[in-house]
Amino acid sequence: MLAGLTALDLSGLQGQFAGRILADLGMRVIKVEPTGGDPARGVGPFADDLPGRERSLRFAFLNGGKESVTLDVATADGRALFLELAGRADVMIESFAPGRLAELGLGWETLHERNPGLILASITGFGQYGPRAGWKAPDIVGVATGGLMYISGDPELPPVRPPETQGYYYASVFAAYGILLALWGGGGQHIDCSMEEAVATQEHMIREAAFDGVAITRNGSQHKHAAPANIFACKDGYVFLFVLAPPHWKAFLDVWPDHPPELDDEALRPPHKRRASIDVINPAVEEFTRRHTKAELVELLQGNGIPCLPVNSPSDFLAEEQIQVREFVGPVSSPALGDYAMPRFPALFDGARPPAAGAPPELGAGNAAVYGELGLDAADLELLAARGVI
Amino acid sequence: VASFLNGIRVISLSTGIAGPNAARMLANYGAEVFKIESRAGGLDAFRLYGDSPEASPRFVEVNLNTRSLTLNLKHPQGVALVKELAAQSDVVMDNFRPGVMERLGLGPDDLRAEHPELIVVRMPGLGSTGPLAEYGTWGPTLTAYSGLTYLWNHPGRERPVGSQGVYPDYLTGEMVPIAVVSALIARRRTGRGTVIDVAQVDLAAYMLGTILLDVLVNDRAAEPIGNQSAHFAPHNCYPCAGDDRWCVIAVGSDAEWEELRALAGLEPDPRFDTFAGRLHHRAELDELIGAWTSRHDPFEVMNRLQEAGVAAGVVQSGADLAADPQFAARGFIQTTSHRVLGDMPMAGLPLQFTNGGHEPYASPPPLGTDNEYVITELLGHSREELERWQREEVVY
Repeated sequence: MLAGLTALDLSGLQGQFAGRILADLGMRVIKVEPTGGDPARGVGPFADDLPGRERSLRFAFLNGGKESVTLDVATADGRALFLELAGRADVMIESFAPGRLAELGLGWETLHERNPGLILASITGFGQYGPRAGWKAPDIVGVATGGLMYISGDPELPPVRPPETQGYYYASVFAAYGILLALWGGGGQHIDCSMEEAVATQEHMIREAAFDGVAITRNGSQHKHAAPANIFACKDGYVFLFVLAPPHWKAFLDVWPDHPPELDDEALRPPHKRRASIDVINPAVEEFTRRHTKAELVELLQGNGIPCLPVNSPSDFLAEEQIQVREFVGPVSSPALGDYAMPRFPALFDGARPPAAGAPPELGAGNAAVYGELGLDAADLELLAARGVI
Repeated sequence: VASFLNGIRVISLSTGIAGPNAARMLANYGAEVFKIESRAGGLDAFRLYGDSPEASPRFVEVNLNTRSLTLNLKHPQGVALVKELAAQSDVVMDNFRPGVMERLGLGPDDLRAEHPELIVVRMPGLGSTGPLAEYGTWGPTLTAYSGLTYLWNHPGRERPVGSQGVYPDYLTGEMVPIAVVSALIARRRTGRGTVIDVAQVDLAAYMLGTILLDVLVNDRAAEPIGNQSAHFAPHNCYPCAGDDRWCVIAVGSDAEWEELRALAGLEPDPRFDTFAGRLHHRAELDELIGAWTSRHDPFEVMNRLQEAGVAAGVVQSGADLAADPQFAARGFIQTTSHRVLGDMPMAGLPLQFTNGGHEPYASPPPLGTDNEYVITELLGHSREELERWQREEVVY
C-alpha cells in the first residue's frame, strides 16, 4: 500500500509500534540506531531465553522488516549525515524527551528547512509542551494517567495494567494515523502525539464524569450497561457471554429451561434493568454455565444467535482454527532466530493478508546500502566507523 | 490549512462503537461521512442510551462530525439509492455480519464492478472468512478470545478479570482509518481501490505481538504479570490516602531509586542499591513504598516524584481526567455544543499538527438532515421523487 515511501525511525519502545504498522503496510522503514545499538535489543523476552543483541523477541516484533543503520547523531558528522538521510525521507518518527532533538541540532525548524515535505512524528508520554511535558512516562504511567487502569481489574485488588505495553502501542497507533493523514495532505507537518491523551480517548470517561455525572470504577469485565455481560466459569475454563438485546435475553432463557422463574420478569427485558440486577442474574447464570464445557456453551449460545466466546490464553488463541485459517501468523526466516512464525497485519487487502514483516535487522546491516545511496563507498564507511560516527 | 480529508466522501453503515468510531475519525479530519440509518428498524443502537434517539450523549460522542441520511434497506429503492451514492463516494464501510451486504446487493463486487476505484471496508469481529465468521460478537467477547483478557490480571489468580473497557472497538476506530488512508494513498498510484477486511479480534491480538512471539518461538505458556515488570524495580501501583486512590511508580535507575528513597524517608539498605537487588526484593520494597504512599494524597506523590525525576502517575478517574492540568494547557478537552443536550466536554484528538488538519467537533445533526441534499443535489433526483420515497418509507 505504501510502497515508494521511506521513514526514518529513531524512536524507542514508546514509538516503535508506529513504524511496525507502516512497515506492515509496505513503507520502507530505516531504523537509525546509536552505534551501540537500540536499547530495545536488550529488552526481553529473548529467543530460547538467551539474551543477545540479535535475540530479543520484543525487538523482533517491533522492528521486523525494518532496515538498520548505525549513526551517532551527537557528532557533527553524524548530524550532517542524518540531515542527508532526512532530506530524502518522507517520514521521521522519534520519542526523545521534548527538546532533545533541538539540542542535537535536529529540531523541527532545521528538519523542515532541510526537507519541507518531511513529516516528523513525536511520540511522548505527555506531549511536546505543557507543564508535564518533561515528565517521565514509561508505559504504566500512560495507562494510569490516561484513565484505563482506573476501570481495569478486580475491585478487591489494586487497579491492574493491561498486558505488554498498551500505552506505548495505542499512542503509536494514533501517530501512524497522523502520519498517513499528513502524507495524504502533502506532508510538511510536525505531529505532537501524547500517550496520556491517546489512552484518554477510550471509554468516554471525560464526558461521563463531566457531563453525564457518572463515575465508572473498576469492576472486572462486567459491562457498564448490560447483563449478563461478563466472564462466567464453566466446566473447563471460562467464557465471555454477552446478552444485550431483549430477543437475545429471551433466547438465552429458552436454552436454559430450568432458569429461576423470577428471570422471566418482563421488567428484566431491557439490558440496563438486567445490569441493575447483576447480583441476582450473574450467580444464577454461572450455575448454568458451570454445567457445560466452553465449547458446548459457545456452540449452544452462538447457535441461538447469542454472542459468547471462550476466554482464551494466548496459546489457545493461536490454536483456534479461525485464527489459523485466516493465517494471522506467517513465516519469517532470520539468521539469528531461525525459522519462526510472526503475527501479521490485522486486515486482509483484496482477500490477502500482507506478508509477515520479515526478520529483525542485525545492527547496522543496512549501512552499506543506505549510506551507499548517499554516495558513500566502503572506504568512506570504514573511515566513519573508525571515528565512531557509524 | 483545510482538513486533510476534505473531498473524500464516505458511506458508513454501522452501529455501536467500532464502525461509527472509525467513520467519525475520518470525519474529524475532514471527510464527508454519510451515516445511513433507518426508522424501519435500522437506528444505531447507541441512540437508545439517552432520553430520546436525538439526545444520547454516547451516540453524539461516537458520531461526531458525521452527516445523517435515512434510507430503508428493506426496500429495494433504498438499496438502489445507497448504490447510487456509492458511485459518487470514495469509501463504503459497514459493520454488519458477513454476507449481509452481499444479500442486499451491496457487496464489494456489486459496488465495485463499475467503480473499481471504490474502497470497501468490512470489520466483522472474527473476520469475513473462516469457520466462525458468522459468530455474533461484541467487543469484550473479542478481547477474551484474543488472549488479552486472560493476561489482563494480577499474577496467580484463578479467575480471569480484565477490564470494563471495550478495547477492540477503540482499536477499530484508528486502525480502520489507517487502512483506509493507506488505500487512498495506494489509489493515487494504481487508480484502484481496495477491499479491506478487518477482523476486530486480530486488532487486539496484534497488540500482543511480543507475547505471541514468546509463545511461538519459545513455546511458552504466557501468564499474567499484573503491575510487575522485568525492566523496572520497583514498578507497581501503590495505595494512597483517600478512597480507592492509587499512584503508579516505576524506577528505571539507581539514581531514581535514590530520589524515591529519600522522598519516602527510607533508610539506606544495600540490598536495594542495585537493580537486581530491588527486583529480587520487590515484595518487601513494595511494602515499604506503600506504607509511605498511603499517608499521602496521590497527586502529591506523583508531583513530588516527577519533580525529582522519578516516573509516577496517578491512576486517574474520569473526574481527574476532566480536571487534568496538562490536558488544559494543551487544549485537549473539547466542548461540543448539542441542540438538545447543551455543552458537553469530551476527549479531543491526541494529535496536534503544525498546520491544523482537522475539523472542530460538531454534533451529528438530527436524523435524516441530509436526505434532501443527497437525494436531490448529489444524486439529481427531483423533489417529487424524494417526497414520494418519503411517503413510501424508502427515505425513512
